[in-house]
Amino acid sequence: MKREHQEIGGDGGGGGGGLTGMVGGGKGKIKEEDDEGVDELLAALGYKVRSSDMADVALKMEQLEMAMGSNAGAAPDDSLIAHLASDTVHYNPSDLSTWLETMLSELNTPPPPLPPAPADRHLSYDLPPAPAPAVSVQSSIFDTIAPAESSTITTVDFSAPPPPSARPVTGPRVSYGPTETPSDLTGTRERKRMRSSSASSSSSRGGGVAGIGSVNTTTTEASSISPAAPGPTVVIVDSQEAGIRLVHALMACADAVQQDNMKAADALLKQISVLAASQGGAMRKVASYFAQALAGRIYRIHPQQDCSLDSAFSDILQMHFYETCPYLKFAHFTANQAILEAFAGRRRVHVIDFSMKQGMQWPALLQALALRPGGPPSFRLTGIGPPQPDNTDALQQVGLKLAQFAETIHIDFEYHGFVANSLADLEPYMLDPNRTGGTVAGADEEPEAIAVNSIFDLHRLLASPGAIEKVLGTVRAMRPRIVTVVEQEANHNSGPFVDRFTEALHYYSTMFDSLEGGACSGGGSGGAVESGAGQQQDQLMSEVYLGHQICNVVACEGAERTERHETLTQWRSRMVRAGFEPAHLGSNAYKQASILLEFFAGGDGYRVEERDGCLTLGWHSRPLIATSAWRLADAAAR
Amino acid sequence: MAGSEEINANESKMVVPLTTWILISNFKLAYNLLRRPDGTFDRHLAEFLDRRVPANSTPINGIASFDILISSLLLRLYFPSDTPTLPDFSNPLFRHPFPVILFFHGGSFAHSSANSAIYDSLCRRLVHHCSPAVVISVNYRRSPEHRYPCAYDDGWTALQWAYNQAFLRNSPNSNPNIFLSGDSSGGNIAHHVALRAAATSNIILSGNILLNPMFGGQCRTPSELKLDGKFFVTLKDRDWYWKAFLPIEADRDHPACNPFGPNSVPISGLPFPKSLVIVAGLDLTHDWQLRYVHGLKEGGHDVKLVFRESATIGFYLLPNNDHCHVVMDEIRNFVSSNCH
Repeated sequence: MKREHQEIGGDGGGGGGGLTGMVGGGKGKIKEEDDEGVDELLAALGYKVRSSDMADVALKMEQLEMAMGSNAGAAPDDSLIAHLASDTVHYNPSDLSTWLETMLSELNTPPPPLPPAPADRHLSYDLPPAPAPAVSVQSSIFDTIAPAESSTITTVDFSAPPPPSARPVTGPRVSYGPTETPSDLTGTRERKRMRSSSASSSSSRGGGVAGIGSVNTTTTEASSISPAAPGPTVVIVDSQEAGIRLVHALMACADAVQQDNMKAADALLKQISVLAASQGGAMRKVASYFAQALAGRIYRIHPQQDCSLDSAFSDILQMHFYETCPYLKFAHFTANQAILEAFAGRRRVHVIDFSMKQGMQWPALLQALALRPGGPPSFRLTGIGPPQPDNTDALQQVGLKLAQFAETIHIDFEYHGFVANSLADLEPYMLDPNRTGGTVAGADEEPEAIAVNSIFDLHRLLASPGAIEKVLGTVRAMRPRIVTVVEQEANHNSGPFVDRFTEALHYYSTMFDSLEGGACSGGGSGGAVESGAGQQQDQLMSEVYLGHQICNVVACEGAERTERHETLTQWRSRMVRAGFEPAHLGSNAYKQASILLEFFAGGDGYRVEERDGCLTLGWHSRPLIATSAWRLADAAAR
Repeated sequence: MAGSEEINANESKMVVPLTTWILISNFKLAYNLLRRPDGTFDRHLAEFLDRRVPANSTPINGIASFDILISSLLLRLYFPSDTPTLPDFSNPLFRHPFPVILFFHGGSFAHSSANSAIYDSLCRRLVHHCSPAVVISVNYRRSPEHRYPCAYDDGWTALQWAYNQAFLRNSPNSNPNIFLSGDSSGGNIAHHVALRAAATSNIILSGNILLNPMFGGQCRTPSELKLDGKFFVTLKDRDWYWKAFLPIEADRDHPACNPFGPNSVPISGLPFPKSLVIVAGLDLTHDWQLRYVHGLKEGGHDVKLVFRESATIGFYLLPNNDHCHVVMDEIRNFVSSNCH
């Protein structure tokens, strides 16, 4: 499939053409499946333009230049330029053809009249007062399979919604939809109109797929079964000597383990603990977790006890992780943004959450829906979670809290908890409103718009053959309007043990660095600041949370190894094979996520990047998690 | 007016391959959206649009990369490798003299990053052509948020760091062979960091490699007037970037912009490194670059000028033209003959 360079002069590329991040490592270049017919030189620089479209792209550029009047001698059209910059939502800049088309269409379409501008156009999270203690819950909530029992787990107090909305009104105002940026870097106010999703999708999203290579024709089946496209092994390094020796020792140990040389591995483990003790900060902690995990593997200590967590405990750890660092907040925020856009104009919506846990994602979405122009839809939430070992009904409790919250912001809310050992146990009929006794649309009412949401959960399915395909098939059968997926941006699933170990070592080192570096909210970057036992405990618990993942990646195999992270590229193949196409996240979501980070993450190490219509959050130059959104590939779904 | 614009588009299309024309026009259009008339910059949109690549310690075509943080300054190191293991930082990477090229990416002080795809690609090609070599790309702070002298300070920090690394020397007793290089604003930064090194330290640099370095001045030179708007770049945008970088009250005769102008800092007598300066004939600021070369010569310093008459800005971003190949050869020769 490699095309000869047809450009003027020369061999087109010496030896060093950089590859885009998606196509990582391994032996030489690995092409993405949907790369057919693209100009290779541009592809190496992150732009996807089909060779057959080059002339057309050039023409569009000329048209745009003329319109913008940006050549010397012509008066530049400042208001047009400002409109294209501030009001237009940009999607997937790699797809030059569609990007240009979007902007050209802005020239032809007069901007839609601004909706009447009452105060709520400048949206802000004016928090509702804490819900009154005895709220009579009118919506039906309980319809779980497991019998309801009293809860003994830590409950989340929804009268104090999770951080993004927890700021007082006088602080930064965070909002979805039409935004007024509280204070951007330049101090000017920008006003965005929220384009209705149909208007923007006609020129950008639909075309977005065609520009890359229409999904129907270029999906390469053969390369599919986890095309071991390893993610890039990316490193942000602490150049202190002992840190590097530690890394080398850990990798040598992993190598010994792979060669089954347990004697050498054991000796190296001892060396590692000595080296680790003399290190400080993140490197020591990471090294300890990895050493522990290696020990587990070497001595065949049955890993299940260490690595698998009681789900209640896991939820608690995740809550601390939520508090300490912005990854989960970003995941929720960006997924909610995609869901909000997909729900635009719909009067009945249904969110199916594969990752219900404590339901921390949903108050913010409910809030945004309550404040959207035109008023909120009626909202149904199906939360899916694992059975509790002590028979408490966590799902039920969470649902109750959410219902109370929804009540206070006057959203018609319905909740169903659904207990399942594995997502693969789900069948579409189980979530059918008829069966669950929920409210069914009358014959003349529009059908529900469904969103399926998964945060760091899909990868677990890769531990059981066939499970992911089944689940994606089930999702497809539900005919969702949007599917939001957030996953770790790393390949911890394919290749030999040493490769996996190396990737994980780099990944979690960067993760732990970010916990140290970003620990001071609002402060500068650099070392962690001692700011109270609460914050330290959060950080510690977050490290334990990550430590369990490390243990699972390194010490477990087979069905027990559930932390099977894969990269965006790999997930894209799976989703496309399962009949989905990307629903791009645009410059508005990017900007809002970046602003959120500036306020809540402190320090400036966290970075949002856009790639192929998805958003990633990383530490400095290393993306660590990726949010992607998907919709059904057949037009009938819309 | 319409007629002259057509001519403009056609002219630039005739001198570069279509792929290059598309690449550079894309930047031109995008950048037009980012520069606001009031001097502010749409940083979020800029970051959203920029295409980035992560570092990769697994070698691609024999070259591996990794990122390093010095305080909050990011450096990306590129080096020849055949294994995914990180180098041993306490020992020389190679036992024979090898060049360490400290590279400052372009972007008129406001755009791009060390991890921008165009610069990741360029740095890898530099390693390849000068191999065995280490290239260190510096993610300096950009304007308008960070004006002069932030970028120079970051360059200085990077130079000091590189100078002190054991693995960048071929033996504990020898000095590293450090070259400063950059394109556009990066070339400007390379000059000023070299100047600082020569004037205030014992660091001896092996050479400077400047690719279309960004210089200017208050007056308008013939090349600026003649080529304004013809090959992707306008005087107006050049003015905007200087205004965004220079101190608020300064004009373009500030020595950062015009090192050999009315406010020049004398450099004769300083141990300023040898320079290789590459100038593109269709770059509207080329008169300033030629003045720069002249200024170095007048100061008694060794400089080789490579003037590519029909090259435009950005010719080196894609390896699809003769200018690029010739220039890479020149760079290779310069580096190898100044590496001791």
